[in-house]
Amino acid sequence: MTKSKKYILTLSVMMTMALMAMAQKPENILAAAGSPPNPKVPISWNRYHDNTALEEICRKMVAAHPGLVSMASIGKSVEGRELWMLTITDREQGSADRKPAAYIDGGIHANEIQGVEFALYIAWYVTEMHAAGNPFFKQLLAEKTFYIAPSINPDSRDHFIHNPNTQNSSRSGQKPVDNDRDGLVDEDDFDDLNGDGHITQMRRKSPYGEYVLDPQDPKRLIPAGEGQKGEYELLGYEGIDNDGDGLVNEDGAGGYDPNRDWGWNWQPNYIQGGAYKYPFSLPENRAVADFFLSHPNIGAAQSFHNTGGLLLRGPGAQEDEPNFTRDDIAVYDALGKKGEELIPGYRYIVTYKDLYSVYGGEFDWMHGARGVFAMSNELWNANFYFNRQQGGGRSQADQYLFDQYLMFGDGFVEWKPYNHPQYGEIEIGGFKKNYGRLHPGFLLESDAHRNASFVIYHAYHTPKVAVADVEVVDAGGGLKQVTAVIKNERIIPTHSAHDIAHKIEVPDVVSLSGGTVVAGMVVENRDLGITTEQRNDPANIKVSNIPSNGITTVRWLVKGGDKFTVTVDSKKGGTASKSL
Amino acid sequence: MKKILLSLCVALLCGGSLRAQSNYSNRQQLAQRVNTLAKSYPQYVKTQSLAKTVGGSDIWMVTIGTGQTDQKPAIAVVGGVEGKHLLGVELAIGFAEKLLAGAVADSVRQLLDEQTFYVFPNMSPDATEQYFAALQYERSGNANKADYDRDGQTGEDGYDDLDGDGKITFVRVEDATGTHILNPDDPRSLIPADLAKGQAGQYLLFAEGIDNDKDGQFNEDGEEGIHFNKNATYRYRNFLPGAGEHAVSEVENRALFDFLYDAFNVYAVVAFGPYNNLSTPEQVGRSGGDEQPQLGRRPGGRKITSWSAQDAKANVFVSEQYNKITGTTGAPKTVAGEGSFAEWAYYHYGRFSFSTPGWWVPSVKADSTGRARGMGSSASDPVGAYLKWAASEGITNNFTEWKAIEHPDFPGKRVEVGGIHPFVLTNPPYALVDGIVGKHTDFVIALAGMAPKVDVLDLKTEKLDNGLTRVSLKVFNSGLLPNLTQVGERSYFLKRIAVNVQTTGNQQVLSGRKSQTLDAIGGRETVELSWLVQGSGKLSIKAGSVSSGTKTVEVTL
Repeated sequence: MTKSKKYILTLSVMMTMALMAMAQKPENILAAAGSPPNPKVPISWNRYHDNTALEEICRKMVAAHPGLVSMASIGKSVEGRELWMLTITDREQGSADRKPAAYIDGGIHANEIQGVEFALYIAWYVTEMHAAGNPFFKQLLAEKTFYIAPSINPDSRDHFIHNPNTQNSSRSGQKPVDNDRDGLVDEDDFDDLNGDGHITQMRRKSPYGEYVLDPQDPKRLIPAGEGQKGEYELLGYEGIDNDGDGLVNEDGAGGYDPNRDWGWNWQPNYIQGGAYKYPFSLPENRAVADFFLSHPNIGAAQSFHNTGGLLLRGPGAQEDEPNFTRDDIAVYDALGKKGEELIPGYRYIVTYKDLYSVYGGEFDWMHGARGVFAMSNELWNANFYFNRQQGGGRSQADQYLFDQYLMFGDGFVEWKPYNHPQYGEIEIGGFKKNYGRLHPGFLLESDAHRNASFVIYHAYHTPKVAVADVEVVDAGGGLKQVTAVIKNERIIPTHSAHDIAHKIEVPDVVSLSGGTVVAGMVVENRDLGITTEQRNDPANIKVSNIPSNGITTVRWLVKGGDKFTVTVDSKKGGTASKSL
Repeated sequence: MKKILLSLCVALLCGGSLRAQSNYSNRQQLAQRVNTLAKSYPQYVKTQSLAKTVGGSDIWMVTIGTGQTDQKPAIAVVGGVEGKHLLGVELAIGFAEKLLAGAVADSVRQLLDEQTFYVFPNMSPDATEQYFAALQYERSGNANKADYDRDGQTGEDGYDDLDGDGKITFVRVEDATGTHILNPDDPRSLIPADLAKGQAGQYLLFAEGIDNDKDGQFNEDGEEGIHFNKNATYRYRNFLPGAGEHAVSEVENRALFDFLYDAFNVYAVVAFGPYNNLSTPEQVGRSGGDEQPQLGRRPGGRKITSWSAQDAKANVFVSEQYNKITGTTGAPKTVAGEGSFAEWAYYHYGRFSFSTPGWWVPSVKADSTGRARGMGSSASDPVGAYLKWAASEGITNNFTEWKAIEHPDFPGKRVEVGGIHPFVLTNPPYALVDGIVGKHTDFVIALAGMAPKVDVLDLKTEKLDNGLTRVSLKVFNSGLLPNLTQVGERSYFLKRIAVNVQTTGNQQVLSGRKSQTLDAIGGRETVELSWLVQGSGKLSIKAGSVSSGTKTVEVTL
């Protein structure tokens, strides 16, 4: 195909798309500040997309931004769904895999479905702002790469969206597990008794119950007060004892936790509930790990979860404290505290101390095994219903109020009588699966944007290396002394302290061409002339790190040559050079 | 009759080919032995290649049993746990051969009706091939690429055959900073200089080779990859050379663990490898192990870092049987390494895990280094001890005399190549193998005789008024081993004993559960259960699990 033909084709594709996109003409629109004025891929950010819709959006992004976005499957899920990876960078400004990169994923816990939309929002926002000519994103995508795997547990995502579920199911993937150890797998799941697509609560009138109807809102049960007689008992989530073992809903779909399956500080299920057979025994995680291992340019990572309004860093378990040392904590603190500012109401915390202990978690592997600064965002917090700090059971009351006055009852299934085979006459009702842990629709885009801005900040602060200065002086005896200062202009170093301690990533290499290198050395103190010689291969000096917002200095003694080029090559920091 | 004759002939033929065996088996020979089993005993044997390694070797699995083998209590027998331990491969495949050759005996036939054996003869086939290669050296790693010294290059500084004899032995350098001295009892061997005794080292000692990549280390990053016996999850250590990128990163480990986790019928694992908890049993509550978390909400369960009293008690009598049947003594103390298979099999897989190297250099009297007293010979100077034993047995061709060479890393210094040959310290002369395999086969058969086995005793029916009957019974573990280890009690990858009451007609169970699962039952111990049933006629009660057998009793009300 000739270049002009290609151009025409692209133009016509763009025009068709533009026609579809523009129900209103651009001249009739004033952009809201900070949002793409006329997005090439219009998306409604107040609803959820299943894997089919997600894939369609990804394909539209690739078509609309051919120089920026590519997509590829990195593997298949248990049930054979593709695991899509979007690679986003300005390819005219260099290949994706040689630029410092941030990795983002969503939906490892598939019931936490807004994470997938948030990951997708980042892809959408950075590409649309780039397309709109925003100078920050023009530069960002010239320098950085985003690897975005929006949905890394797709089987259970579709299961959550299309099948009856609670707000908490299914965190697992869909590989069958015998949770109650009776020899049968997944034989006693929830049952959508009233057939409404949601697994809600069962309650029964009982003279021995512990609850009464809330006089303010009879949809809600509250504990009977002192001296008050209870009228209702709660019987748990909708279901029956399918296998006749005296337990209800005890062995449902799947039954493990994909975020306890990673190859760092892994422990089996009897210690760490949810662990499967061994690290990466789940194909979805193995695909992500393989991708990570073959992309050493990733220096930052974030994963989206819900809920609680938290920005989490490791360690997940106390035993891992020694692998989080001062310099690395300083980087996390700089990131996390900025995150708290950008997302008001979110708190930056340490997982094992402030939340709970986790063995074999995703960001612990990324930090521990790969030296990547990795965090996860626990999206949504009940404080946001009415912008108030919750306490003493207030959040549940607010959830009812919010449903009534801002969602007009759309989040609740009204209690209706039901004749249950084991419990007799009961009532079924309660909050729908898409309310409670998930944002109310109109708050989705706002929180997606704030979290995206934090991810973009994190990505921006992956290392940016440059050869800042090259000095040549006569060293006497026919030798020239060439000194080069390599700097890193960002918060994240090319090697974390943990990485340096365990030699995770190969050193950065600073090379000199021009003249004949007689000796090479790392300069420890330039003023006092303290250096450490590298005996082998002195033209290519290996430096263990180019630190956070800092410099590393190297020096050569050279015979001959009058034109010199200094090049730095860093797996996580990219490449740069300067000639003199 | 014809059938018996035929199998007799086959057995004789096999015996013939076995006698012809004069050395450890390479991968073609192992494949042949596996295939011969399948052909000779089609009624008992199924063979399968679970995976192909990076080096193109098969991971063989030999399933021995009858009928629905996955529904009968099973022992997994694993060889090649450590790549330089060729005897382990022989012990595993040899067990299969001798067990099946013995299947003409009624007792063995009955065992094969009741139980299943999964034999994995070689889990380190890429590594064991090095024994048969043009350049022979002790190798533990598979053919995967690995960067042992983490310098960004793989395989850039392996061994070098400086004397061109096809074996990697040792280099010693006379040097003022030496770490070793000559063993005064046998100057062919070197021992570490002991500063506490005022000994000044005279020699540097390292494996045969040069510093190919000029990084100051010798042979630190050769062509070998990941060790099967460092790649399991229990006490796995990241960044350890040979341990892999993460636990269970390797095809060999994944293939075996995937199979085993789904093999709910396995109650015990026998590992033929370096760790030994058969000569001396596990200690209860041994010190060390992982610290328990102090802060933060716990993720669920406590870490288990030693055998429970009940499990260790079982190990005591298994160990007694082992010592008696094999007649072995003086085994050196061993410590399981990080990420080892044998510890994984107990601490993470949750089965009884018994491990032995099968052979060690027989004890000799303490020598003048004085550290051998009351311990296995290899605790002091294993090379000296070996040479003494080998001399007494007339075993030769195991040592290369020290010979001076020019070494590029030590110009002007006296450098010699020589020393003990690879493999001889951990693998006996092949002539001894058949006897060792025979005794270990007898031991594994004896272990199978201790299997947990569900029985139902003292079934009673008591008529109460108005058509009500109380049915009671004892679920009895007639084996010697508990039906679950302490880990097995807690891990959902093991099945508990399930007890199900099958009612008929309009019978109603008014008290007691129609279906329930039980906690572990110790060897020779019982659990009493009872039900109140209304109605008349027959009902049946089934108790059991796939790893300890099932018993069904019929009751008439």
